[in-house]
Amino acid sequence: MPMAVSPERVRTGITRLTGGRLVKGNQLVEQDLWISSVSGKILRSQQVFYEHQVVPDEVVDLQGKILAPGFIDVQFNGAFGFDFSAVPEDMTEYQKGLKRLNRYLVRTGVTSYLPTLPSQRAGVYHKTLPYLGPSGGARNPLEGSESLGAHCEGPFISPSKNGIHSVEVLQEAPNGFSDMKACYGSESFPEDGKGPISMITAAPEVAGIRECIPEATRRGIRFAIGHTEATYEQAGEAIEQGATMITHLFNAMRPLHHRNPGIFGVLGKADGKERPYYGVISDGIHLHPTTVKIAWAAHPDGFILVTDAMKTVGLPDGVYDGMHGDRWVKKGPLLTREGSNTIAGSSATLIECVSNFWTWSHASIPEVIRAVTATPARMLGLEKIKGKLDPDADADLLVLEAQQDADGKRTLKVDQVWKFGTLVHDASDEQFGL
Amino acid sequence: MMLRLSIQLCSCMRWDQQIVPGGAVRLVIREDKHTAARYIADYIIERIKSFAPGPGKPFVLGLPTGSSPEGVYKNLVAAHKKGEISFRDVVTFNMDEYVGIPREHPESYHSFMYQNFFSHVDVDPANINILNGNAEDLEEECIAYEEKIKRAGGIELFLGGIGPDGHIAFNEPGSSLRSRTRVKTLAYDTIIANSRFFGNDLSKVPKMALTVGVETVMDAREVVVIITGPHKALALQKCIEGGVNHMWTLSSLQWHPHAMIVVDEDATLELQVKTVKVSLCSQASPTAFAHLAQYFKSIEQVASSQGFGQALASEEFVLRKRDSVLEKLDSPKIPTAKTFLAPTKPGLSGQITPDLIPDSMHERVEGQPAKGLGLDGLETKELPLSGMHHRVDSAAA
Repeated sequence: MPMAVSPERVRTGITRLTGGRLVKGNQLVEQDLWISSVSGKILRSQQVFYEHQVVPDEVVDLQGKILAPGFIDVQFNGAFGFDFSAVPEDMTEYQKGLKRLNRYLVRTGVTSYLPTLPSQRAGVYHKTLPYLGPSGGARNPLEGSESLGAHCEGPFISPSKNGIHSVEVLQEAPNGFSDMKACYGSESFPEDGKGPISMITAAPEVAGIRECIPEATRRGIRFAIGHTEATYEQAGEAIEQGATMITHLFNAMRPLHHRNPGIFGVLGKADGKERPYYGVISDGIHLHPTTVKIAWAAHPDGFILVTDAMKTVGLPDGVYDGMHGDRWVKKGPLLTREGSNTIAGSSATLIECVSNFWTWSHASIPEVIRAVTATPARMLGLEKIKGKLDPDADADLLVLEAQQDADGKRTLKVDQVWKFGTLVHDASDEQFGL
Repeated sequence: MMLRLSIQLCSCMRWDQQIVPGGAVRLVIREDKHTAARYIADYIIERIKSFAPGPGKPFVLGLPTGSSPEGVYKNLVAAHKKGEISFRDVVTFNMDEYVGIPREHPESYHSFMYQNFFSHVDVDPANINILNGNAEDLEEECIAYEEKIKRAGGIELFLGGIGPDGHIAFNEPGSSLRSRTRVKTLAYDTIIANSRFFGNDLSKVPKMALTVGVETVMDAREVVVIITGPHKALALQKCIEGGVNHMWTLSSLQWHPHAMIVVDEDATLELQVKTVKVSLCSQASPTAFAHLAQYFKSIEQVASSQGFGQALASEEFVLRKRDSVLEKLDSPKIPTAKTFLAPTKPGLSGQITPDLIPDSMHERVEGQPAKGLGLDGLETKELPLSGMHHRVDSAAA
């Protein structure tokens, strides 16, 4: 597919992607994109062209397909048999599993993610967090998908909204942030502020948590409200304290009541600054399609699609060992605790969630893609380097094919994945890629 | 009424002469701006192909910016994507650029060219020449630009557009028709018109530009101009029906040996022939010249069917031709055998009594310079008979 245009010229590491429809803002724009495999970034092509007089090594014709930024999953517990929370005897096994996961994951179109740890005992955090921090420093495309830092979902959550989190490990923080430090490990909060944790989900009504919010955000950590009994008022207060995100909206929280709108109600606040970002699981199991649509319509600028994927993603149907001695039953995208109907996370991939949302909402393709690219990047404060096709952003790209069945089912298919300016997956060539 | 019509028909006859290929300006009228742009793009592609450029022999192309040429670029890009044309060995020179706005500014002509043309084709960036409006010494930049054009072997084809006031490049009304590449202060009207691209803030609009001169354009071996839209109709009329005038700088095209103007119907609104069309249509016989533009088209069709369609042959071809013409003129005259007679036998030529040629006696005198090179009429005449007293210096006294 990639064709050489200038074999006799000095190689520049530049690829020109042409003939694609680029996701830019709320539009699909027919434009070329120049990327560098040397810097791993999107180039200011005009400047490169005139000032340095270089031409691309390769020109790739995308044949009218969609060129989107790589997807970002901010709630992702594991996949392909690897669980971020499962601590093996030998931590080199953990590292190997992580590397393998990154290479598999990138092929699904997720080019960066927050490895997510549901409520655990302190020991698990101490062991795993050192491996889960931002991993893109080497800018090596062959490493596959990139961690943008860990998401600690719990254990400072409400025992009555625990979902499948084990109640025994849940904590309160009567001593404020020092309890959090003790739980996640003080090494996780270095003085220079570049620790492994990027996001913490906690319940603001749990003792001591309200005081922790400013401490966490001061260290550059995003604070999400989730697994909580918080009322509309309590959620509003948490947002005032610095919380900017709601973890899997509707799930593991009080529902909307017309006299007490709950957490969902804060999306209705008038001032844009008070309205948080919110994750939505559109796997078709966690939420009704109409609920997803309403959630999106409430505040499209804050709408983020997440998978809440478990290690069973990418594995065949069957019964698997879960957390804390549980056993999970995987049947298609459905994952339940054995012998119950409790949802134990999702087995859907992000591209499946995206296709679902597109089918249900009839939002435009750029609006759909924004929910897994620009919006999560902005939520994480990475809007300049991730989730956009603008110059100087990382060249993490997807070539997508949009299809629509006769019965109205809409699907986006990942055709190619580029990481740091290098092609790492091509659906048309099974042998190629990581 | 009849009198007026006949006068206008006379002016139409004048056009008839001008349209003959190889003469001066060819006027090509197309239905709308899309077909006009298409025509020019096809023409440029043909010219490049027949030129057969190579690494040591680039095709030097002069290029404009603006809304009318945009369509031409679209067609060129489409043709390139279909694999019909390569710009690998094309050297480009752009007409103009603003002074003092960053090269990457969305309104810069660098940006225009990049977005509309260069980024979509295989032109080598090293072969692209655009005036640098941020050069330290603007005058030096202009002189160097002229020199670069010269070193590239001169411009083979200059594509141009015009402004509503008939200006070509930034040679606004009143520019010298002998002007060369230089710094130019923009007319106030142009600044106001441009302000819409700069957030309607006059202070942000560039007040100066670098531009090639009228003569720089006229030096090109061929000039092709696209003029579309009713707002340019007056300019077209002034430039081709009026005299050569520095208030309508494109009118200098009338001096160019190989110029072509491609227009859409809207741009012909002000042409006199068009008024003929209108008056005739209101007469008793509306079908007579129902569509005079059709008339031009038919002439053009005939021209192309006669092989005059592509007016300008390659330089090599013309040079060869010129050499052979000179050679002929330099060699002694031998009457050529007519094809319907038996061929002249070699070696016998001297024995054949030449046909009588009615030429001047002095031409047969050896040592006389050959006549030719368009010097007819300039050959030395016998001294006129005149009274002896005229030759006496003091006679006037």
